[in-house]
Amino acid sequence: MTAALPAFEPTTSVDEVGELLAHALADDVDSAFEQVVRTYQDRILSVAARALGDRQRAEEVAQDVFVRAYRALRTYDRPRIRKLRLRSWLYAITLNLIRNAVRGKRLRIVGLERDDGSPRPIADSKPTPESQAEIRDDWQMVGGAIAQLSPKLRDAFVLRYVEELSYDEIADALSQPVGTVKANAHRGLMNVRAFLEEQS
Amino acid sequence: MTERLRRCLDDFRANTQCTASPEFASVTLDRLGLADRYTTLESAVGPVYVAWNPRGVSAVRQADDKDAFERWFRKRFTRRALPATSPAPIVNDIRRALEGEDVKVDVDLRDCTRFEVAVLHKAQEIPSGHARPYAWIARELDNPRAVRAVGSALANNPVPLLIPCHRVVRSDYASGEYVFGPAKKRTLLEHEGLHLHEIEELGKRGIRYIGQLEDNCFCLPTCGADLIPELSTTRHVELHTADEALAMGLHPCSTCRPIAA
Repeated sequence: MTAALPAFEPTTSVDEVGELLAHALADDVDSAFEQVVRTYQDRILSVAARALGDRQRAEEVAQDVFVRAYRALRTYDRPRIRKLRLRSWLYAITLNLIRNAVRGKRLRIVGLERDDGSPRPIADSKPTPESQAEIRDDWQMVGGAIAQLSPKLRDAFVLRYVEELSYDEIADALSQPVGTVKANAHRGLMNVRAFLEEQS
Repeated sequence: MTERLRRCLDDFRANTQCTASPEFASVTLDRLGLADRYTTLESAVGPVYVAWNPRGVSAVRQADDKDAFERWFRKRFTRRALPATSPAPIVNDIRRALEGEDVKVDVDLRDCTRFEVAVLHKAQEIPSGHARPYAWIARELDNPRAVRAVGSALANNPVPLLIPCHRVVRSDYASGEYVFGPAKKRTLLEHEGLHLHEIEELGKRGIRYIGQLEDNCFCLPTCGADLIPELSTTRHVELHTADEALAMGLHPCSTCRPIAA
């Protein structure tokens, strides 16, 4: 499996947009923050929706992420803001809030269900019935596989293979050494693969 | 398996990708009080700075330059107004409203007290071509002694022109103070058709009401633009007090409600 890993390498390892935004924030938090929201809202919302399986709750969590981020930024000095790795910092806040939101509840992971209990995608795009039928099982299984992972493997796996963050960013977001997140992401991938093989 | 796993992950990512609604950023920024933008627009009193956010127009103000406006805005509302970077749909409506068109524009009065909001809503009821005394608003709000507070609330109007505080005058029908200066208040009222000079002359002579014999009613002299030109006809009488009108059997006009119901 290790040999196949390069196929999963994210194409973007440096969040250049984040760097530019961090500089703009250091100059003026108020005027730059709107751009932060607009740049990251889809990503943050998607992370929350994947974890919570509920669009409305995801929207609330995503909103809280930006509110928390803004309030924190107001207390940071300019050098600290300039050095921020914005994307991983926002992911860190998001993961914390998701943890709070699911505390005491079973993680659903794309457990978005229709009223009749059948699964449906969170995505805004509407696949054709044929393609839907074909892919439904696959991505549903990934959701199920992720839900089986322990929290530490899940965070590392999701950030790496779903969110496609660099290991550096993941280490930042999870406040863990790079070696640890690499190992956890890999173990997560192994477990997901085993889960999918078991299911098929 | 590798291929399949990759495809699974791609599908999973694609199928669970969310796009935030257009309101998401606005609502989020609104929660943070960040959503005010401003631009300058022409108005009947000259160019004005106009700020808005998702709640509506938050400020209309004249200022020497954008820095002065931003300073004033921040001091008044304790949040930032930023120059508009892209055309907002509301700007068209604001422009039309400032040109005197009857366009509904939402206003953001979140920083006003409840009393101020009530006063401003009452002022909003006064149609173009009309004016009402400060005491009229106080009375309409069941608080007839609050005339001075009504004056303060109007002076504090964050969105003059859009909420027509210039249509509120003194009880002797002198036009009174205005955020853009008394001269501009006169200009605005006259522009809307009010015969201000004649009305002020009536006020000086102690005339407070006009009796309309044909309609068997009595009005404030500021009840519409047509009233003063009609005054020269025999069907209209000048009245000093409401008692005089009532003694003649006239009933209060339902538009300007010259006395308490």
